[in-house]
Amino acid sequence: MGLEPLFQAWSYFRRRKFRECADVCSQLLEGPPGEQELDSEYTVFQAAWNLKTRALTEMVYVDEIDMDQEGIAEMILDENAIAQVARPGTSLKLPGTSQGGGPSPAVRPVTQSGRPITGFVRPSTQGGRPSTMEQAIRTPRTALTARPITSASGGYVRPGTASLITNPDGPFINLSRLNLTKYAQKPKLAKALFEYIFHHENDIKNALDLAALATEYAQFKDWWWKVQIGKCYYRLGLYREAEKQFKSALKQQDMVDTILYLAKVYLRLDQPVTALNLFKQGLERFPGEVTLLCGIARIYEEMNNISSAAEYYKDVLKQDNTHVEAIACIGSNHFYSDQPEIALRFYRRLLQMGVYNCQLFNNLGLCCFYAQQYDMTLSSFERALFLAENEEETADVWYNLGHVAVGIGDLNLAYQCFKLTLVNNNDYAEAYNNLAVLEMRKGHIEQARALLQTAASLAPHMYEPHFNVAILSEKVGDLQRSYTAAQKSEEAFPGHVDTQQLIRQLKEHFAML
Amino acid sequence: MSLFKARDWWSTILGEKEEFDQGCLCVADVDNSGSGQDKVIVGSYKGYLRIFNPHPVKPGDEVQPEDLLLEVQLREPILQVEVGKFVSGTEGLHLAVLHCRKLCVYAVSGTQGNVEHGNQYQIKLMYEHNLQRTACNMTYGPFGGVKGRDLICIQSMDGMLMLFEQESYAFGRFLPGFLLPGPLAYSSRTDSFITVSSCQQVESYKYQVLACATDADERHDTEQRKLSSGKRLVVDWVLNIGEQALDICVASFNQGVSSVFVLGERNFFCLKDNGQIRFMKKLDYSPSCFIPYCSVREGTINTLIANHNKILNVYQDVTLKWATQIPCIPVSVKVANFQDLKGVIVTLSDDGHLQCSYLGTDPSLFQAPKVDSREINYEEMNAEMKELQKIIREATKTQDILPESEKQRDVTVTAEVSPDLDEESGISNRDFTFSEGTQRSVLCILICHRNDKSFHVNSVFINLMQAIDSEVKAGAVPSVTVKITIRSRVTAQKPSLAVCVQAPLAVTCDQFVFNDLEPDSSETVVLSVFLKENCSPPELEGTCIVSYNIPTELNPEGIPRVSQCNFSLPLKLVCIPAQPSKAASHKITIDTNKPPISFITIFPDFVDPSEGDQANALGFQFLAGSKTTLLASKTSQRYRIQSDQLEDLWLVTKELIHRLKEHFRKQNCKDFACTFSGSIPLQEYFELIDRHFELRLNAEKYQEMLSERAVQFRAIERRLLTRFKDKTPAPLQHLDTLLEGTFREVIALADAAEENQANIFQAFAKLKSATHLLIMLISLWQKLNTDQIAILEATFLPLAEDTQELGWEETVDAAVSYLLRTCLSKSSKEQALTLSSQLSMPKDTSRLKKNITLFCDRLAKGGRLSLSTDSATQQAAVMPGGCATIPESDLEERTIIPGSTAVFPSHGQTTKQKSKPGGVVCRLIKGTSVQLCII
Repeated sequence: MGLEPLFQAWSYFRRRKFRECADVCSQLLEGPPGEQELDSEYTVFQAAWNLKTRALTEMVYVDEIDMDQEGIAEMILDENAIAQVARPGTSLKLPGTSQGGGPSPAVRPVTQSGRPITGFVRPSTQGGRPSTMEQAIRTPRTALTARPITSASGGYVRPGTASLITNPDGPFINLSRLNLTKYAQKPKLAKALFEYIFHHENDIKNALDLAALATEYAQFKDWWWKVQIGKCYYRLGLYREAEKQFKSALKQQDMVDTILYLAKVYLRLDQPVTALNLFKQGLERFPGEVTLLCGIARIYEEMNNISSAAEYYKDVLKQDNTHVEAIACIGSNHFYSDQPEIALRFYRRLLQMGVYNCQLFNNLGLCCFYAQQYDMTLSSFERALFLAENEEETADVWYNLGHVAVGIGDLNLAYQCFKLTLVNNNDYAEAYNNLAVLEMRKGHIEQARALLQTAASLAPHMYEPHFNVAILSEKVGDLQRSYTAAQKSEEAFPGHVDTQQLIRQLKEHFAML
Repeated sequence: MSLFKARDWWSTILGEKEEFDQGCLCVADVDNSGSGQDKVIVGSYKGYLRIFNPHPVKPGDEVQPEDLLLEVQLREPILQVEVGKFVSGTEGLHLAVLHCRKLCVYAVSGTQGNVEHGNQYQIKLMYEHNLQRTACNMTYGPFGGVKGRDLICIQSMDGMLMLFEQESYAFGRFLPGFLLPGPLAYSSRTDSFITVSSCQQVESYKYQVLACATDADERHDTEQRKLSSGKRLVVDWVLNIGEQALDICVASFNQGVSSVFVLGERNFFCLKDNGQIRFMKKLDYSPSCFIPYCSVREGTINTLIANHNKILNVYQDVTLKWATQIPCIPVSVKVANFQDLKGVIVTLSDDGHLQCSYLGTDPSLFQAPKVDSREINYEEMNAEMKELQKIIREATKTQDILPESEKQRDVTVTAEVSPDLDEESGISNRDFTFSEGTQRSVLCILICHRNDKSFHVNSVFINLMQAIDSEVKAGAVPSVTVKITIRSRVTAQKPSLAVCVQAPLAVTCDQFVFNDLEPDSSETVVLSVFLKENCSPPELEGTCIVSYNIPTELNPEGIPRVSQCNFSLPLKLVCIPAQPSKAASHKITIDTNKPPISFITIFPDFVDPSEGDQANALGFQFLAGSKTTLLASKTSQRYRIQSDQLEDLWLVTKELIHRLKEHFRKQNCKDFACTFSGSIPLQEYFELIDRHFELRLNAEKYQEMLSERAVQFRAIERRLLTRFKDKTPAPLQHLDTLLEGTFREVIALADAAEENQANIFQAFAKLKSATHLLIMLISLWQKLNTDQIAILEATFLPLAEDTQELGWEETVDAAVSYLLRTCLSKSSKEQALTLSSQLSMPKDTSRLKKNITLFCDRLAKGGRLSLSTDSATQQAAVMPGGCATIPESDLEERTIIPGSTAVFPSHGQTTKQKSKPGGVVCRLIKGTSVQLCII
């Protein structure tokens, strides 16, 4: 009593037991050589081949929409830019294009590009876009902001190497020996083969060839092939061509994925407003689609329009109240708008849902502290330290512990915490700044100044070190240095009242002289 | 991610190591009891057929034996079980069981037993069909609109639909373009079969069309099947969904519109009858199975979707209504009505976990593991805390990193420089004695040894290794052997030795790694020092540093320690005796207070003894420099050193004074002193500064040009890229030539910049020599004590490397002007001036020259070099900007030139600041909430 092997493999595939499925298929494929012809209309061989291709693809499948990495070369050699200086509110490249509603950097920390930090790490939230190659190379590159030179050398490499691991006898399909034209005329094989080449082998050029032949064979009537060609073009950096393909596919068939791909192209072309409109059109066709809502919220967040972003995140939660990203973002939003109690509720919800990591406990600890629930603060941080997986996370937790220590007035503890932060991650500009403030209180002016200079060189986008240098120099009587530092601070954060006051004061002083 | 978990109502685990899949679960009132109470029918791939009637006394109870109504083992694997009106002449429900090659229909009946719980159930085979092809799945329904009975359609693995009208076989049809079977469903409204083909399309076939098409069984030959195009199977409608589907359901509730639900691998679709999308939802998880179960609100349909994250989601159209955790990944989910409970969710996992559950607000309690923390004993903790605080206070009282005092040294390192030069130096520039092959094999041996971890340094190998080209343009480059011994009194782990000499000198091997040292053991290495580059070294000194770990009780990994020693190299390493020459452009005269000594006594290694005692002139030919002549006055107590180049005077002068002092120390003559009366050769010195500065300016120019060319290169690249990307390729218009030209320019510029770099290095070495000479002359002239000499050295020889961003000129300028403003200042007004905060490259050297001249003037007028405590707080400003962040390099540099630490005040002295009025208001950065990572 036994099952038919092909049926067994088919059943394994449906239950996502891909390893077993591929093994059974391999046995089937080792049959007599006479059957190993893909030309005939239907054979068990063909079916097994197809199933194995799909199983191998599924093993390494990553949704292409989530894959996003922009290398330095792509940013610099960007020939798609329409205007050198975009108008406010139409570009993601200019940091200061806030349309109001967002908290100031005094309250919410910003990333290197001047955008408020978000509550959820996504592939595209790393760092900003430098304007020239020189600046790109000189930007302080810490472990967390390192950017590949080109996207071809970045994260895409990882999926492609899967082919080396899965089969010790060599690749399952030898791409160089494939007759793509022949396969393109067999739609049922071609689609699986394409996904295999794209996801498993990561060979975009061959994938594009196959897709081009197949769409021709289908007389340009199959939207799926157009989307695939668009995906290939996107990977190759041909954004305008990709846009054409996606648009053409959307004309044939409305699909959520196509909309997401097209929006991704627009974002890469730095046209957030077009992407927003596209998403909104998509929402009319697919009302309540979570991925579209979430896309809108992300764009608003990147454009520094926090209140709109929060609205859309709330809409996401109305559709899907287990959406971790939305909960985390709303939570961090509440935290930075001085409502730690509400943020606490969101983070607690995440905890109840089973999120269990260092970041969450760290945030819980901070919320507890600001919500004056001191009993929970230290135990949360203790757990966060326990759960920290790498030194950067440990550094974050120690930094926040130091901050709590400052809050309760235990400056010795704070000093030691900041020192520990720097032990774990010596690129931590905030810790340098805070340590400098503590040193200043001790009266070690020179040490404080050195620390502040380090902080400023590590994180030129922060205004605090510049401002602190300005204050420090002003107290010492070094007005000239104070003035230059204050100007740098104003550049980093134009709306900072204290800086403006200081500059005014200094100007008056200079006028008196 | 879910807040709640499904409440267990009844659950059991079926069999052992049995496999189940999608079709293996069915829920129906199979025994026609009429009570409306559903039974759960489960078939397995092992061939077991089980029927359950769950009725727990209270939710979550153990399974009662009488819950299992029936368990039989059939002879073949069960692929699918369905319940419907399969037997003609009756409307009662019967059980259809699909095997690989057989379809059986059974009647299930129960007979009342004699005792209360003694009902007896049995199955009776009504009919069976043997199948020609391997079956895959089946569907049933009133095909063709028949009333009161269900027909069965079986899909085979090779794409044939076989239709059975109850006891009789009706017909079979091949699906066109078939490769792998997809899910199959029958829609009674449109009377059609819906499946998802391998082309990733939802396809609908009308029953009528199927019935009329050519019979597949009559023509087995595929060729003929193709030819019979008369009645080809025509598809009713097609929808391309772009992915494979897991399951299809056709559902209509409460006379609402009927919809076709397709669960794809990544999306969930709801289609209209005509194949248009009503709505779709992108799923961010891998679904495993689903069922649309009812319509709660008008126009919407509720669906249960289970996924591989063990979550069961309840959707109302696309809105998530509920999410609940379930204990395993289900392969099939159904909704059943039991006696006292309606709408029970029945799930079956692929390893046979059958569960009936209902939704509830039972929190899915996630028990966070306990943090590994100690039991709190406050007294002990207080004590430990105090102790730690004490240690920390001790550590912060002194500077963070401070060399240990000598007496605690557990590992000592000594260096012994052999008095004579090597007889056969392995270094040569022309007659290279070892062939390439030899060198390579030696390298191999070394590498093998290293891999064994039994690497013992062998001087022979090292000497072979040192066959390194020297750039010096002389016949044979001399080398001197240095023997370094490490002695350890304790266990030292991972000792490694680094030997460093200042370029242009070089050592044959500068890194050694040893095995762990036992207590009271020693290791010795031998290496050679030689002049590598074509200029004279400013210092004839070297340092060797041993780093090792000493394990302690608390820290078995060991505490890192270092110990070091300095050694000085003989003058003969860089110069050879030569004929003295009378004429020279630079001369300095050193006065002493003792009669002159014969050169035979003090320079025995340079004077040929055959020349007798009349040698009052001595010539030194530098390997990479000019000739220097030393003259001793016969009458007065003077020595004259003369050379064509200022910087070459330094080493000879130093050697002379050193040897004179040694000589008189041996003779116990304590009041020996050297003086210098003549004017300081500032003009010549300034020429050297200018030379160095000019090269720096050149370097800056090169850098600017390089960046310009690079920008140009990228601009051309960009142009080319747009050209190549164009659909209609435009002519390149010589852009490629331009690109190549620019590339060559970039390369040529880079080469020139490199050459300039080498020149800067040589110029800096000369400048350093001259600076040493200057310091020595000033100290002899003004009779400075050692502290003052240290200040002078720290001023003129900054620890920082000479780089483009922070060069020697601005550093020395800052230091000199600081001294001028503090201890050498004439009035208090000068002291008030502040330093410019950033050190940057000056435009020219006139300011520096002026300051140095002024510095010498002030010293001549009786200025005293001292660093009193009141100016100590300002002192650190002399440190090159922002270098305080890297304490390691600080240490390293400090160890190279000991004694220069005097310039750095310890930070404990700054008491003055406390009296400052008010606290400085500074901004702390608020605690940052950390971004959540993707879970």
